[in-house]
Order: sequence, then structure tokens, then C-alpha cells
Amino acid sequence: MRPRTLVLPFVLLLFYVFIPLGDIYADNLSCLICHGELKGTYVTQQGVTTSLHVDGEKYTASVHGDLECTFCHLKYQDNPHTGTDGEVDESIAQIARGIGNKSPVDPIAQAACTQCHEEIYLEVRESVHGKNIFEKGETDGALCVDCHGSPHEIVAVSQAVGNGHGGEHGEGVGSAVAYDRIVHTCGKCHEKKSVSLKYGFSTKIIERYNESFHGKKYHLGGKNLPVCTTCHGAHDIRSDKDPAAMVYGENKITLCGQCHAGANTKFVAAITHKPLGKDNPIPFYAEKVLILLTFTVISGCALHILLDIFALIRTTVTTRRRVSSHER
Amino acid sequence: MNGKEWSMPAEGALPEVHDQSMPAAEGLPEEVERFNIHYRIQHVLMLSSFLVLFFTGWALKFSEVETSKSWIQFWGGTKSAGLVHRTAGIVMLLDSIYHVCYLLYRFSKGKLRWDIIPVWKDVTDAYQNILYFLGLSKEKPQFRKFTYLQKFDYWAVFWGVFIIGSSGLALTFPTKAALIFPQWTTNWIWELVYIMHSDEALLAIIFILFWHFYNEHLRPDVFPMSWVWITGKLPVEELEEKHPLEFKRLFPEAAAQVEDGKKHEAES
Repeated sequence: MRPRTLVLPFVLLLFYVFIPLGDIYADNLSCLICHGELKGTYVTQQGVTTSLHVDGEKYTASVHGDLECTFCHLKYQDNPHTGTDGEVDESIAQIARGIGNKSPVDPIAQAACTQCHEEIYLEVRESVHGKNIFEKGETDGALCVDCHGSPHEIVAVSQAVGNGHGGEHGEGVGSAVAYDRIVHTCGKCHEKKSVSLKYGFSTKIIERYNESFHGKKYHLGGKNLPVCTTCHGAHDIRSDKDPAAMVYGENKITLCGQCHAGANTKFVAAITHKPLGKDNPIPFYAEKVLILLTFTVISGCALHILLDIFALIRTTVTTRRRVSSHER
Repeated sequence: MNGKEWSMPAEGALPEVHDQSMPAAEGLPEEVERFNIHYRIQHVLMLSSFLVLFFTGWALKFSEVETSKSWIQFWGGTKSAGLVHRTAGIVMLLDSIYHVCYLLYRFSKGKLRWDIIPVWKDVTDAYQNILYFLGLSKEKPQFRKFTYLQKFDYWAVFWGVFIIGSSGLALTFPTKAALIFPQWTTNWIWELVYIMHSDEALLAIIFILFWHFYNEHLRPDVFPMSWVWITGKLPVEELEEKHPLEFKRLFPEAAAQVEDGKKHEAES
């Protein structure tokens, strides 16, 4: 067994020595030699626990698979490496400072997305998520990786190979922002009661969506149904108090009208995501009354049936007894 | 099929009782028409549309259950399942209209009888039946054309079609319904309509599975079913046994004969 255990470090050493640096694949490979194997967690100088593991196969298969590691990892905050502490473009450094609270591990790498996706960055910056992070310095609110998943494993949105609508709540492979998985992805934050209470929206948004006709049909495998992003937007998501939001006041008429021709104010009032509670007493108590009615009717019927069966058995038994005594 | 076959199970179980209730056969028809062709068509439309609505709606109500997804696939996906459901709903509503119109037509011809209307006697019948069930009385209630059980079954359909049908229409044509709903209702009307449709449908399904299936299918004297829903005819013996007052109304002489016979037997 001894020769075998020696093979792996030897091969790794061969790669390290003989593959010329500068070639991007080789460069990534040299990073992956360590980061492909690093498991467990690491605590940064800022005291944030993070993982240093990168799955090389998934990275190569991702849409960013042919980018060098250093394309995004421009500079490290607590740098154990050499050769990557180069100059960082000021625009990126500025964004990195803006998201410092939100992404303390490697804000420069998080900000590096803007190198290619600047337009989307500008949209996010103006969205309710972006404003919360950049203007208020909050840690809540989604940035690129919160929705798209690990930056090393991002696949195209069209690549939704999940088990359709996530099966068990969106766990699946493929893009986390694809139609089949987006509700689960938004739910990662919006199902949290603490987030809902802090920002003053319904605590049961996802649950109520899942109970709505849209949500039910979505989970049953329906296509082209409205999901979170259909009405609220994705990168440019806005608060419902923002007059530019699709779900703001009268804007809803246009929004709902895209599928429901002839939508009016009374129609668009149907979707609120609010939980059924005492603040909306009519449906709340109507449901209670109907449940009581169902329970009463069914238990009444069941009792009547049981009594009937009891009488049928009794009649049969007593009749038999009478017959047999006659025969005797 | 002749009536005797249908009273066989009862004959086996309750020989004495049956002997007593054997009608004087002379001059009596073998069967009595209970439901004419219109009522039978209405019933078939009602039951088939009900089953389709049940099958397609159930998976929507319990969409979080994993099997619902494959069940919806069986109906061709959400879109086609929805279409089937709404079509069946329209059939049921049209059937209900057909029924009411037919009743009105019979009324205009002076042929409508009011047997199905609940009356005080139904309450006393129910009371008497419970006493009989408990063994506190030996007398079974004497039913007219329809027992209180059957009346309950019938009026439950009226209630269900009204509640589920009206909410179903609002959900099928929401933008049209929005034109009718007053402004001050919009905060709760949609939730209410949804709850009405969903919860009442569940009640209707459980009710049918319990009540109708037990009384009209599973009970030993009718199992697997009474063929009256196809033939519209009830064997006269069964009429006499289950609806003695209706039997008496239709065949007063035969009923009197039977009563005499019973008296004689009791005396001897």
C-alpha cells in the first residue's frame, strides 16, 4: 500500500513543477490543488467563519469556468498567498467598501462581478436590496451570490435541472434563480420571521404564495405562472412603497393585466400575501365557521351511520337467536 | 330484474320480518316508477361532474402533497386539469339549472309533488329512528316517499351547488367578478370566495363519501347499490318495506289487506 499513498503527492508535485504558470487553466489548477482539498471552515482576521473549499469540477462546469481565479480574487484581506496583492481598480474598491458589512470575507471578490456585469450592478444598487446594503450599511438584502449561489458554481438560468419546483422546497441542481427554484431561493430570507418583522412585511409571504392559486399550480408543475420575480422584479426589485415598483398602487393594474385582461383595482386587491388573521376578520372567522360546520355535519353523519350499523347488527343477532330457538 | 331478487339479502337476514311484510301480490305491479328519465339524466350528470370535480380539485387543494403532482400529470398538467375542472363545473351548474327548470315545468303543469320538502314529520322520524337504533323503541319510523336521510342528501346538493358554484364562477372569471364585487368588500372577498370553494368542496366530498355511500351503497340491504338510478323503478316490495306511507298512498287497498293480515297473525 505504501507506493500508492505516495502517488498522489508525487503527481501533484509534477503538476506544480512542470505546468508553466501564466496559463489560465494551469493557474486555476494550482489554486485548486489546495482549495479543492481544503475542507472544513476557516476563521478570517475579521472573525468571520468561511469555507475555503472550491469544487474544481463544478467550477469548470460553471458559466465562469474559464476565468482565472485571480480574475475576481484581486486582492486578499489577510493574505497568506503571494502575487495577488496587486492594484485594485478604484470603482471596485469603492463597491467593496460599500458591501463591507454585508460580505466581510472577501468584499473585493464580491464586487468583482461588476467588471463584467456593470449594468446589472447598477440595477441592484438602486433596488430595495441594494439600497439597504449600500445606503444603510445593513447586512440584509441580496447581492449576487445570495441568489445565484456560490460564485464557483453558477450555471445558466436556462440550466434548471432541478427536480421541478424543487421537490422538497427547491433543493435541486441547476440555477437557483431558475423558474423551478426561484421561490425557494427568495424564501431563504423571506421565510425568516426576523427579516419580515424587521422590515414590516407579511411573515407568511412564501406560505401564502404557496396557498394561492398561482403557488399551488406552480408547485404542481405548471409553467408560465407568476413567481416572486415576475411581479416584484429581480435585480431591480423595489419596495411596494416605491412608486416605481410594479406592485405599487395602481401599477398593479398593468402588472396583473398582463395575464388577466380587464384587471381593475378591485381585482388586483386579491393578492396580498397577508396571513389570514384577526385583522381581516371576515375570511378568518368564515373559515372557522366552515370548519365547524364540516366537523358538525361529518360527526353527525358518522354517529348516525354507527347507530344504524349497531341496530342492523342487533337485529341480525336477535333474529338469528329467535330462528334458532324456533328450530329447537 | 324482479323485485324478489332484490329483497333476497333481507330475506336471509330477517326471515320473519320479511314474511310479515310480503304484500298481497294480486293486482300490484312488480315495480313502481320513482324517478322518470329527466331525474335520472340529472342524477347521472350530477354524479359524473361531481366525480370529475372531486378528482381534479383534490390535487389542487392538497398541492403540497407529493403525489398530487403526478395526479395532476394524469389530467394533462395544471392547465388541462383546470380546464377539465371548469368544464365539469359548468356541466354541474347547467345540470342544476336543468333540474330547477324541470321542476318549474312540472309545477306549471300541476304535476309537481312536494314530497322532497322537509316537514316536521322528518324531525319526529329522525327521533323515532334514533330511538329504534338505540333499542328504545321497536317501531321503525314510517317513511313517506323520501326519508329524512334522502331529503338531507338532496338539499345538501342545493347548498353545495350554491356555495361552491357561485364561488367557483367568481374564481373562474375573476376579472368579471371584480366588476360585481363592491369596493368595500375587496379586502376580504377574495379570501372568502377561496375559502368557500375549497372548504365547502371538502365538506361535500366527505359528506358524499360518508353519507351517500353508506346509505345508498354500503348498507347491507342495498349493497352494492339500488338500481333505481338507472331503471328509475323500485320493486314494489322494497317500496312497501322502506316507504310504507308512499305504498299506502299508491295502493291503499293492498296496504289495508296487509294490515289486516298482520292483525290476524298477531291475534292468532
